[in-house]
Amino acid sequence: MSGYRFDRLKILVVDDNQHMRKLVAAILQAFGVTQIFEASNGVRALAAMREDCPDAIILDWMMDEMNGIEFTKEVRTSKSSPNPYVPIIMLTGHTSADCVQQARDVGVNEFLAKPVSVKAMLSRLTAVIENPRPFVRTDGYFGPCRRRRNSDDYAGPERRSEGLEETTWVTVKSGDQR
Amino acid sequence: MTKQKPIEIFTPPNILKAKVGGAGVGLDSAAIKRAEAAMENLKSEFAGWMNADIEKLAESRDAYAAYPSEDTKGQLFRASHDLKGQALTFEHPVVARMAASLCKLLDGTPNTPLLLIDAHVNAIKILVRQNVRDVSDPTTNAVAAELEAQVRELQAA
Repeated sequence: MSGYRFDRLKILVVDDNQHMRKLVAAILQAFGVTQIFEASNGVRALAAMREDCPDAIILDWMMDEMNGIEFTKEVRTSKSSPNPYVPIIMLTGHTSADCVQQARDVGVNEFLAKPVSVKAMLSRLTAVIENPRPFVRTDGYFGPCRRRRNSDDYAGPERRSEGLEETTWVTVKSGDQR
Repeated sequence: MTKQKPIEIFTPPNILKAKVGGAGVGLDSAAIKRAEAAMENLKSEFAGWMNADIEKLAESRDAYAAYPSEDTKGQLFRASHDLKGQALTFEHPVVARMAASLCKLLDGTPNTPLLLIDAHVNAIKILVRQNVRDVSDPTTNAVAAELEAQVRELQAA
């Protein structure tokens, strides 16, 4: 049992489908979250961020006016962003490797594929609480580190321990597709 | 060789952890049970939600048929894409499969034939109306496989 005080969290659910918002909100409420805010697109979500200061965001990809990718870019890089560090969990039916990469490349923290699963939702929430990614600022990217976190089982050479960290990060940067 | 600008890596304060506290050992099984019960309670509403999504799909199809454009095609793609994700959550896996095929058709084909769009939309409407959820139903599988084959052929042409 984690013993989290989810009642202290404010979560913004952004989805253009009201039924999906209702479903996600019901799951969050069952976890113990009491302060849940909703927005139907990125523009409204930015306004909600200014108004309600959410601690985390659950975000759909495909929406009119401003989609999830555009919203994340705005949150991470705009000078007027209400909170560039806010954890963003993308909940979407776009599940191809390219889509996951694109979401990562704009600064999404965690990726959650539809259909909605209670366990997966709690797992992603727990991930942003327990294992937040460090942030990276380069010429072409600002956001959570895009490298895989869970490397405890890695048995290969420790390239970054020999002063090669900069080279490694240059590689990450060159993969930036924006 | 161009000199790279330094790359800044830093760890912002973990506000979430500070707020929620907790031991962080594994997933809270009681919370999972509560949430699964909440989802179960909502299942009575899934049928109405599916119908609303189907209505939106049909409206988008009508708009595209009346005024074929990138804009109306985009609306139709979004409606079918929404349905693809939602149908699985709302326990309509066969609808999700056909909606996925419709997404492929709309996303990867420049001159999308309305007849093939209609074949998808009508099949989806029938599946929802008749509450067909069985992924092993041979007739449904044959229809879905045929639609997918038509889309593949069109994209290969």
